Amino acid sequence: MNEASRAAPGRPLRPARNWTLIIAAVGAVSLMTWWSARGIGFSLVELACNLPGGRRLLVESWPPDWSFFPRLLGPLLETLQIAVVGTVIGGILAIPIAVLAARNLTPGFLVWFVDRNFMNILRTLPDLFWAMLFAAAVGFGPIAGALALTVFTIAVISKLWSESLEAIDMAVPEAVRAAGGSWLAMLQFGAIPQALPHYVSYALYAFELNVRASMILGLVGAGGIGMVLETQRSTFEYPRVTLIVLSVLVLVLIIEKISESIRRRLV
Amino acid sequence: MTVRTTLAPAAGMGWATQVTLFIAVLFLVCAWAIDLTPAALANLPRQMATVLSFFYPADLNYGATRVWPALLESIQIAWMGTIIAAMLSLPLALLGARTLFPRIARLVKLISATARAFPEILLAIYFVPIVGLGAFAGALAIGISSVGMLTKLGSEVVESIDMGPVEAVQAAGGSRLLALRYAVVPQVLPEIVAHWLFRFELNIRASAVLGVVGAGGVGGVLLNTLRYRHFEKAAAVLLLTILVVLIIDMVSGAIRRRLLR
Amino acid sequence: MTDKAAIRFQGARVVYPNGAVGLAGVDLDIKPGEFVVVVGSSGAGKSTLLRSVNGLTPLTSGSITVGGQPVPKKEGRELRRLRAGVGMIFQDFRITRRLSVMTNVLVGRVAHVPGWRAMLNLWPAADREIAFRALERVSIADKAWVRAGDLSGGQQQRVGIARALAQEPAIILADEPVASLDPVTTHQIMRDLVRINQELGITTLVNLHFLDLARRYGQRIIGLKAGELVYDGTADSVTQADFKNIYGRDPDAGDLLDESEAS
Ligand SMILES: Nc1ncnc2c1ncn2[C@@H]1O[C@H](COP(=O)(O)OP(=O)(O)OP(=O)(O)O)[C@@H](O)[C@H]1O
Ligand SMILES: [Mg+2]
Repeated sequence: MNEASRAAPGRPLRPARNWTLIIAAVGAVSLMTWWSARGIGFSLVELACNLPGGRRLLVESWPPDWSFFPRLLGPLLETLQIAVVGTVIGGILAIPIAVLAARNLTPGFLVWFVDRNFMNILRTLPDLFWAMLFAAAVGFGPIAGALALTVFTIAVISKLWSESLEAIDMAVPEAVRAAGGSWLAMLQFGAIPQALPHYVSYALYAFELNVRASMILGLVGAGGIGMVLETQRSTFEYPRVTLIVLSVLVLVLIIEKISESIRRRLV
Repeated sequence: MTVRTTLAPAAGMGWATQVTLFIAVLFLVCAWAIDLTPAALANLPRQMATVLSFFYPADLNYGATRVWPALLESIQIAWMGTIIAAMLSLPLALLGARTLFPRIARLVKLISATARAFPEILLAIYFVPIVGLGAFAGALAIGISSVGMLTKLGSEVVESIDMGPVEAVQAAGGSRLLALRYAVVPQVLPEIVAHWLFRFELNIRASAVLGVVGAGGVGGVLLNTLRYRHFEKAAAVLLLTILVVLIIDMVSGAIRRRLLR
Repeated sequence: MTDKAAIRFQGARVVYPNGAVGLAGVDLDIKPGEFVVVVGSSGAGKSTLLRSVNGLTPLTSGSITVGGQPVPKKEGRELRRLRAGVGMIFQDFRITRRLSVMTNVLVGRVAHVPGWRAMLNLWPAADREIAFRALERVSIADKAWVRAGDLSGGQQQRVGIARALAQEPAIILADEPVASLDPVTTHQIMRDLVRINQELGITTLVNLHFLDLARRYGQRIIGLKAGELVYDGTADSVTQADFKNIYGRDPDAGDLLDESEAS
């Protein structure tokens, strides 16, 4: 320790922590939590009033009313149909929207800017809001549901896929362009083939989400099993509600397993 | 790489065409089943345009008095749900990591998969009668269904870390708990908090919907305005929701990017 | 202190669950304060030998005693107490990159302070002092508050060494501590290890890949081959033939760090 080369390099002081940032972060989180808890806490009074009745309802909801099952088959099938239609139309419409939103492929800044913000706004509204809107526009029924899922699909696929498109290797597209190919030729032969596996994967993912979503669209009148759920729920037929929830879960899990196994084979 | 991708479509053409054909037929059958005929489709733009024209001008007065409080409630529901889920999922994410707890991990993964399978709104259908109409039911529903996803994502983060430092802490005589404290948590916390924020963004949308089954928030307001065809009021709901969600997405996204830098 | 630093292997045998033999019955005595270099080709069992000393790899049969105490075969308080006195240095450093250098070094004190203090990152002043001294010994005290991941490879390995030193160990185990460093840094780190061994009298076991490093820095050289002890002698007396026996072939340029030293 007494060698000159290693003689006390001086102990640095521990740098002061960024207290402003720490206090700001902790303060913001605590404040948000306190504010939210208080806002929600009002319902704690209701909790006390409702508890006895609620418990009875819960006890009643088991076992499920199996005899109701045959009447679910039609709506369950309709639910899947809604999901298929929404995924296919939305999946097709998502292609141009994603391409125009990819920085490396878009033909111009203005198009890119408008398209990207359009995409972001689509993403802000939840699936059920679209369902309510379309139900108001075209009337209650599965068509409203399919349209809602179309929009939802566009939002999901275009966002994810435009990111994949931005990550492609630009050598081939640029070569197509250099050889005198048009913008469309560049897309068709240079850009899209590279990101095609991603597209298929995201489309399947969107289909999974859509099957899930289609189950509840009916709560606002947009067709499928959810409409049955809504009538049984509002009349407090909880044994039937339980049956519906169970069959929905099983169907969703089956579809997800199939879709997952296809996706795994793709990637 | 380039050669492969340019050749692939040609080589797999037969298969790809078959799949496309199958999807096309399936689509036509489904469209026919739900009465989505070409005529109905052609009619659609006009129908939409008519309804949309009713949305103007948005009733901003209604927005301020009725929509804004409901939106705030939606934010509160989403926040509390996320906080509940974050607190529960942090220990679960550690326990669910195969690399740390090979025996317990399976069980934890099973639990989280089950919690994930329930959409918030179905949970809310059960919570509403138990805890009463309102925000509390919503926060519980959101919290529980988020636990599943956050546990899954968290476990994946933990499983992807460098296990070297974990062994180093144990080699220095540290317990497993101390190895978590000094080798695992510092490695995973930024990613995990980023996942919390991302889930909060999703939960804002989820909580907006919960009002449909009476679990508080802005969804119920939209449902009512549309049911009674008060389109200018519905327009206020949509405008404000889009605005608030965009802002929250932006702030949360910025924080996430900083965390992961 | 000196007594605590003796290691004795008796018929030490490690068979991994997949049937691979790590150690095939090793008998070995290491005296307090020795600087021992372990050589052998890849898969010879060098890491297994070191890791069995602090119980990271439990023995299948036979025994190892550290300072007269047998190494427990199960994780637990006993084993943690033994590990507290045995520092370990790794090829890949194994520091937590997102924590400060200081916190990484304080990890060396985890077994020396009450659990709640370690858990809450509330270290007694005495332990901070020890950590600082450890950093000074490897000349990177000026980096104490830097994020460990922001350091160069050689500096990160010094953090690893400082963490081991902070344990105030009787024994240091270094598993290929220089394998991921450049030649200049390699010599600096090796000199650090030798100096620490001489100044503090810490028994040191170092696995090395390069023959010239082994001969240059080792006092005693141990050769392993397929889990068996095939050489044990002083660094001065080791011959080309001995190396051939250990490696099963003549050493070539690839076994040397500085080719110039080959001749
Ligand atoms: N965790 C393990 N599981 C199964 N077998 C192992 C494990 N670790 C080591 N082995 C096997 O034990 C034998 C000795 O391995 P060890 O890591 O001790 O060798 P080494 O001399 O350190 O080699 P290297 O120079 O490559 O680090 C090898 O045959 C190896 O394949
Ligand atoms: Mg090794």
